[in-house]
Amino acid sequence: MIEMHDVYKVYGNGVKALNGVNVKIDQSEFVYVVGPSGAGKSTFIKLMYRQEKPTHGVILINGVNIKRVRDWKIPYLRRNIGVVFQDYKLLPNMTAYENVAFAMEAVETPRRKIRRRVQEILELVGLYDRMNALPSQLSGGEQQRVSIARAMVNNPSFLIADEPTGNLDPENSWDIMYLLEEINTRGTTVVMATHNKEIVNTMRKRVIAVEQGVIVRDEQQGEYGYED
Amino acid sequence: MKIETLFRHCREAFRSLTRNTWMTFAAVSAVGVTLLIFGFFLVFAFNISFMASELDKQVNVRAFLQPNVTSDDIDQVIGQLKKDPAVKSVKFQSKEDGLRQMKKQWGDDDRILKGLERGNPLPDTLVIKAKNPQKTKQLADSMDQYSQIADKDYGEGVTNNILDLSAWIRDAVFVFGLGLAILAAFLISNTIKLTIFARRREIEVMRLVGASNWFIRWPFFIEGSIIGILGAIVPMTVTLVSYNAVIGILDANGGQGIFKLLPMWPLSLYVAGMTTILGIMIGVWGSMISVRRFLRV
Ligand SMILES: Nc1ncnc2c1ncn2[C@@H]1O[C@H](COP(=O)(O)OP(=O)(O)OP(=O)(O)O)[C@@H](O)[C@H]1O
Ligand SMILES: [Mg+2]
Repeated sequence: MIEMHDVYKVYGNGVKALNGVNVKIDQSEFVYVVGPSGAGKSTFIKLMYRQEKPTHGVILINGVNIKRVRDWKIPYLRRNIGVVFQDYKLLPNMTAYENVAFAMEAVETPRRKIRRRVQEILELVGLYDRMNALPSQLSGGEQQRVSIARAMVNNPSFLIADEPTGNLDPENSWDIMYLLEEINTRGTTVVMATHNKEIVNTMRKRVIAVEQGVIVRDEQQGEYGYED
Repeated sequence: MKIETLFRHCREAFRSLTRNTWMTFAAVSAVGVTLLIFGFFLVFAFNISFMASELDKQVNVRAFLQPNVTSDDIDQVIGQLKKDPAVKSVKFQSKEDGLRQMKKQWGDDDRILKGLERGNPLPDTLVIKAKNPQKTKQLADSMDQYSQIADKDYGEGVTNNILDLSAWIRDAVFVFGLGLAILAAFLISNTIKLTIFARRREIEVMRLVGASNWFIRWPFFIEGSIIGILGAIVPMTVTLVSYNAVIGILDANGGQGIFKLLPMWPLSLYVAGMTTILGIMIGVWGSMISVRRFLRV
C-alpha cells in the first residue's frame, strides 16, 4: 500500500511541483496518473521510489515512512518497487538476458537461482526466443518488455512506470498494456503516468488527474479527460 | 559478503583496469615511483637503526690505569667497578694486549710498531661497558673517583650523530614521499573517476533495482587496491635486488667492517609487506576520493 499525506515538493530552483497531495493506493490496484505536461506526474512517481524526497508531508510504503528511512537502507526499500521508464534504460552492451540477470546480480542473488528466474520472466514478457539479442537488435516494444522483465525479476510488490508507452506505436503500446495488466492480475500494484488517451479510455482503471501539483480528480474506471 | 559477490567485484575491477590501459599505467607508475623511494628509505632506516644499536653496543669507556699500579690495585678497581649498577662488564687489557690489537689494525710490518715493541708506551687499560649505552658519558665521568685510573676516553657522540642524521633524512623523505603519495592517489582517483563515468548507466540501473551502496562501491575500491598492489611489485623487486647486490659486494670485499648491514632475511619480508600495504593504502585512498565525490547516494 502507498499512502501520501499532505505531500509538497519544491525543487532546488524553487519550482513547486507538488502542492499538498493526499492519496492512498491499495495493494493490487491499477492506477493511471494523468494530467498536462509539467503537472507533476513524474515528480509524484519519483517520490514513490525515493528518487526525490518530499519537501513536506509523509509518504508511507507498506506502512513505512520513507522519509525516516536511513540512506543506506533505501536500496532495500527499492527492491520492493520495480521502475519502468519511457526510454527503457537498458544497458546497450548487454543482451536481453544479461540486462535482466543484472538486476538479480545487483541484489546478490545466488547464481544458480538467477538462470531459472530470468528465463521464467523472459517467458512471461514473451521474449524467451530473443534473450540473446542486444537492445539495438530489438524493437522499441521488445526493449520495453525487457525493461519490464528487469523491473519484475526480483518480485516487487509495486510496479511504477513513467510513460511506458511514450515512445511506442499503438500496436506495441497495447502489447505493453496487456503485459502490465497481466502483471497486475498476478497481484502487483501498478502505477503508471501516461499521456495516452486511447489506452486510458479503453482499458478502464482508476484515474488520478494531477494539475499544477494538486490532485483534481480521482475516479475508479475513470476517463482520460484531456484533449491532447 | 558472499564469495560469489567478491569474485564478481574483482571481475568488474579487472575489466575496468584493462579498459583504460593508459590511465592504469600512469597510476601504477606513480604508485611505483612513490614506493620505490619508500622502499629505499625503509631499507636505509632499518639499517641505520641497526647500525646505531650495533655502535651503541661497541661504545666502551676506556679507563687508562696509572703506570705504577700493582696487580692488587687492579683487582681492587675491577671489584669496585663490578659492583657499580651502571656497569655491565669490565675487561682488563694489558699493555701487551693493546699493542697486539694495534698491530692487527695497522698491519704487522709497520715500522712504528716495531719500535714500540721495545718500550711499550701503552697503558694498561680497563674496557668498561655501560648497562645503558646512552649513559656512557656519566659512566666515563665517574672514573675520576678512582685514584688508580689516570685518564679515560669514550666514543662521544658517534651514535648520536648517526641518529640525528637519520632523523633528518627521515623527515626529508617523509615530506617528499608524502607529496608523491598525494600525486599517486590523485592519479588513482582520476582512473576511478573515468571508471565511474564509464559505468554511470550501470550504476544508475543498480540504484534503481536496489543494489546496496557497498555493492556499488566495492569494485572501485578493489580497482584502487589492485593499482596499489601492481604499483608495489616493481619497486619492491628493485629495492630487494639492489640491496642483495650491495650486501654481495660488501661481503666479496672481505666483510662489512663497521658498516654492518642487516641480512636479507627478515628485512626483505618487512620491506615487501610494508611496501604492499602502503600501495594498497594509497590505492584505497585514491578510490575514496572519487567514490565520495562522484558516487553520491
Ligand atoms: N529535477 C528538477 N529540478 C527542477 N525542477 C524540476 C525538476 N523536475 C521537474 N521539475 C519541474 O517540476 C514541474 C513538474 O515536473 P514533472 O516532471 O513532475 O511534470 P510531468 O507531469 O511529469 O510533465 P510531463 O508530462 O511533461 O512529463 C515542472 O515545472 C518541471 O519543470
Ligand atoms: Mg513526466
